[in-house]
Amino acid sequence: MEPAGRGNAHLVTETSVVLILVVITALGFDFTNGFHDTANAMATSIATGALRPKVAVLLSAVLNLIGAFLSVQVALTVTNAVVRLQNPDGTPKPGLLADSGEALLLIVLAGLAGAIVWNVFTWLLGLPSSSSHALFGGLIGAAVAGLGWAGVKWTGDGGKLDGVVGKVLLPAVMSPLIAGLVAAAGTWMIYRITVGVARRFTDAGFRWGQIGSASLVSLAHGTNDAQKTMGVITLALIASGTWTDTGSIPFWVKVSCALAISLGTYLGGWRIIRTLGKGLVEIAPPQGLAAESASAAVILSSSQLGFALSTTQVATGSILGSGVGKPGAQVRWRVAGRMVLAWLITLPAAGLAGALMWWIGDSIGSTAGAVVVFVILLLLTGLMWARSRRTPVDHHNVNDDWQEPSRPKAEVTA
Amino acid sequence: MSSLQLALEGAWKVLAAGLILGAGLPALFAAGIRSLASGGQDQDQRRLRGTAVAYLCFGIVVVGVLLGLTYIVATGFGKTLTFDHAVPTLVDK
Repeated sequence: MEPAGRGNAHLVTETSVVLILVVITALGFDFTNGFHDTANAMATSIATGALRPKVAVLLSAVLNLIGAFLSVQVALTVTNAVVRLQNPDGTPKPGLLADSGEALLLIVLAGLAGAIVWNVFTWLLGLPSSSSHALFGGLIGAAVAGLGWAGVKWTGDGGKLDGVVGKVLLPAVMSPLIAGLVAAAGTWMIYRITVGVARRFTDAGFRWGQIGSASLVSLAHGTNDAQKTMGVITLALIASGTWTDTGSIPFWVKVSCALAISLGTYLGGWRIIRTLGKGLVEIAPPQGLAAESASAAVILSSSQLGFALSTTQVATGSILGSGVGKPGAQVRWRVAGRMVLAWLITLPAAGLAGALMWWIGDSIGSTAGAVVVFVILLLLTGLMWARSRRTPVDHHNVNDDWQEPSRPKAEVTA
Repeated sequence: MSSLQLALEGAWKVLAAGLILGAGLPALFAAGIRSLASGGQDQDQRRLRGTAVAYLCFGIVVVGVLLGLTYIVATGFGKTLTFDHAVPTLVDK
């Protein structure tokens, strides 16, 4: 990574090795954030054939790229929602800055590594879990391991929604319900209104409606999610003394984050697209329109009202709602149940992974510890990728008929 | 106020806005498609009216989408959209 080393190219210290690992890992997380979330915007358009699979992921990637570059004012305080690593102005807590911020860098590295492991694992299972929950979970786990329970901000001070409870847990319970209700209402009305209208009118109309609403979701995703990684990388740079300005972020950080999330989106998490587009409900064009409109409206109005929602949970809730709202439609509740389970355990599971990573890194210590964490991360993701090749899902078979995997073996042994 | 109360307060606002924009606009869009289709009848008068109503519906939907776009872009520039003065305006966050 050239750019990461630019600030201190004259002297490659041990800290700069750790810093470079943090930057690469953060970009890696951003990449998984992209491919994990392609489905949120595009699963419906792909399933209904409104867009060909490759065109859909390309459109979403371009909009994510534009969205990421639109983030001119990036908040450096992204971690403040859940952990106590930073002061309110974005600078790291002084206690974490000894040895060029080594303590903070290890917490961030372990947190990101935990988040990536969980993201790749849920992708392998084709489950749409929230990338922001994975990131927060990883950071919480690493912070608990590194700083004790007091390192985590559990609730706000009472004045506004903050902390793990206010920013993550409560919205996590409510957002899929809200999105599901909106999508169900929209689907029901659309079917009522267009009953008896000739297919040639509805098909063309709903096709454009779906593409438009899915594009809004992609753009909003780019502005929201790429920012988080930009904030985390800049925090690491400030902690190591490579960057001092808390009012802006380095340009190369913005460019590399924008590219990472957009490349990830283009790669397309086909397994998750398949689950959302084919597995949960058989989506028809009116449902696709209702689901994506509901997602866009809920995501935008909640961020306007300062109510932090996860894009993934909103999108999945919407698609579920569009199945409930369509007269006579069938929802595969077994798939929905697995999905809800993934929502519930994402935060603690990523937290556990983050904590383990921190513990491994800390017990080895200093630069070697960080390198070992990074190597473990590479090994685990490599293994999971290799496992995914046994049953590949890509743009050729993403829309194949859904067959609920029968699991006789598990049932016999259980 | 407890976190739960705050969250419920936020949730119902999001639900209200979501229902108007996220379910209302698609319903209007569907109404537009219906009008467009009813424009396909034989009588000229009725066709014209159907088409006009359809484009009125689509127009309102487009305005809603443009507001959404403005909001996304404005957020990126550290501004936000307020509806305090009836007409949507951009202000610093």
